[in-house]
Amino acid sequence: MSTTVHESSSVKEYFKALYDGIYTTAKGMWITFRYVWAVKPASIEYPEVREVLPERARMRLFNDAQNCISCTQCAMACPVDCIYIASEKLPEGAEIKKTSNGQPIRLKLTQFTIDTSLCCYCGLCTTVCPTECLTHSHDYEFSQYTIDAMKYDYLAPDVVAWRDRIVKA
Amino acid sequence: MQSKWDIGEPEKPTINSETEQLKSELLTLNMGPQHPATHGVLRVEIWTDSEIVAHAIPHLGYLHRCMEKHAENLDYRGIIPFVDRLDYLASMSMEWGYVMAVEKMLGTEVPRRAELLRILTAELQRIASHLMAFGTYALDLGAFTPFLYAFEEREKILRLFEEVSGARLLYNYIWIGGVWNDWTDDQIARVSSFVDVMEQEAKKYHELVSLNKIFVERTSNVGVLTVEDCFTYGATGPVLRGSGYKWDLRKNKPYSLYSELEFDVPVGDGERGVVGDCWNRYIVRMREVVESIKIIRQVIDKLEPGPVMGKVPKIIKLPKGEVYVRSEAPRGEIGFHLVSEGNDSKTPYRLKVKSPCFTHTSMLPHMAPGQMVADFVASIGSIDIVLGEVDR
Repeated sequence: MSTTVHESSSVKEYFKALYDGIYTTAKGMWITFRYVWAVKPASIEYPEVREVLPERARMRLFNDAQNCISCTQCAMACPVDCIYIASEKLPEGAEIKKTSNGQPIRLKLTQFTIDTSLCCYCGLCTTVCPTECLTHSHDYEFSQYTIDAMKYDYLAPDVVAWRDRIVKA
Repeated sequence: MQSKWDIGEPEKPTINSETEQLKSELLTLNMGPQHPATHGVLRVEIWTDSEIVAHAIPHLGYLHRCMEKHAENLDYRGIIPFVDRLDYLASMSMEWGYVMAVEKMLGTEVPRRAELLRILTAELQRIASHLMAFGTYALDLGAFTPFLYAFEEREKILRLFEEVSGARLLYNYIWIGGVWNDWTDDQIARVSSFVDVMEQEAKKYHELVSLNKIFVERTSNVGVLTVEDCFTYGATGPVLRGSGYKWDLRKNKPYSLYSELEFDVPVGDGERGVVGDCWNRYIVRMREVVESIKIIRQVIDKLEPGPVMGKVPKIIKLPKGEVYVRSEAPRGEIGFHLVSEGNDSKTPYRLKVKSPCFTHTSMLPHMAPGQMVADFVASIGSIDIVLGEVDR
């Protein structure tokens, strides 16, 4: 239907095509040739040089368990259901602590796990969090050998140790 | 004694004429799913007669993620991250189409600044998407350098989007009722300086690729689609405009604030080749970049401080009814058919996506017969499909 048909061209057309071919190619070559000196490289050498991420960049989730009130709003907002929360009632007469923005913690958080391998980094959970304890950190290098290792329990001591590194004052 | 396995000499076919002697069998070739020219996981089964493609059958479904069915179990805000993944090179336009459908049923008023920011992001996204189309198309045809130039500029747009929304590709930025974050004055200033650079770059690309004799020879008179073909298959966007039909939803059925903005609708005019061939489809995209730059400049002039989020209930419940909203994405008209059954339901009853890339893929069997295999690669590149949107 749509094959290119090369009709027999006249001598004038032949040389016109030849001239066009040389001229336009040389023009393109000149554009690229200017890059030898005038333009600095656009790429960076990643592991040695790192870009500073923007403030709002959405990387690995981090939950500051000390400020969590177990409201489960993040788990309900999550479109892929990757947040698992369990909590129990505080024992009778226990002291009710307060979060950093003054909300009372009425439940005892027993489990807060995020399956990072399911997370789609949409940021919906962080926007509904009333105490702003669930945030996107700027960690992006967290590959693991097994898929189970992608589940982060934010009550585990090794994960809590991130807090000093991640949570801004 | 003859063995029962011995069937003797094979019977020689009788040759009647010279033409029948030359006739060869059709060879079935699989182009894809891992072929660089199919732009994703598209498998095209092509029947070749030596170097000529006799027939092409696209096989879809390698990237099918059940998005439409899955949306029936998600609340209206939770669908936005999935809509992002339809056309992953133009996520902003996808989000905007879906969000407009929900807003139309909800009757939400979007603040003026939010509408302008939506136009700004959508047009920047259109530039980024067309840069990707330009770069990969040149890459398909054997030119590597334009790809690097295109990515250098695209990177600047993605960086701006990352600063404003938090992600580089799947933004979740346009929300029901407005946009998530406001742009700072500094970021707007960077957009206007980027646009100035982009205008110069577009001229450079034009000299480097569009008018290059080799490129013109490879793309002109190849894969010609007439306006009738486009109407028959339902093609939209640059494919329809490349065939010379002036149709752009932003101009013909203005949504949002597009009626206030001045811009032209570029069509294929047969400057090289014939109207409706690969070169004209390509040049429509490059001219649209220039038009988008015009729109962005006007939007920046119109921007005034104000809220970016309208009043939306905390839990969105739509009334009973259905709506079909279409908008102009970089690859054509994206349509969302949203059905709600009411009854305090937090989820849609049905969400049907009308994808432009799907209709364009269905045109491949029409374009293919009679083409060389290398020209077929040029044809696939010129319709600029994204498989996330084809398979959904």
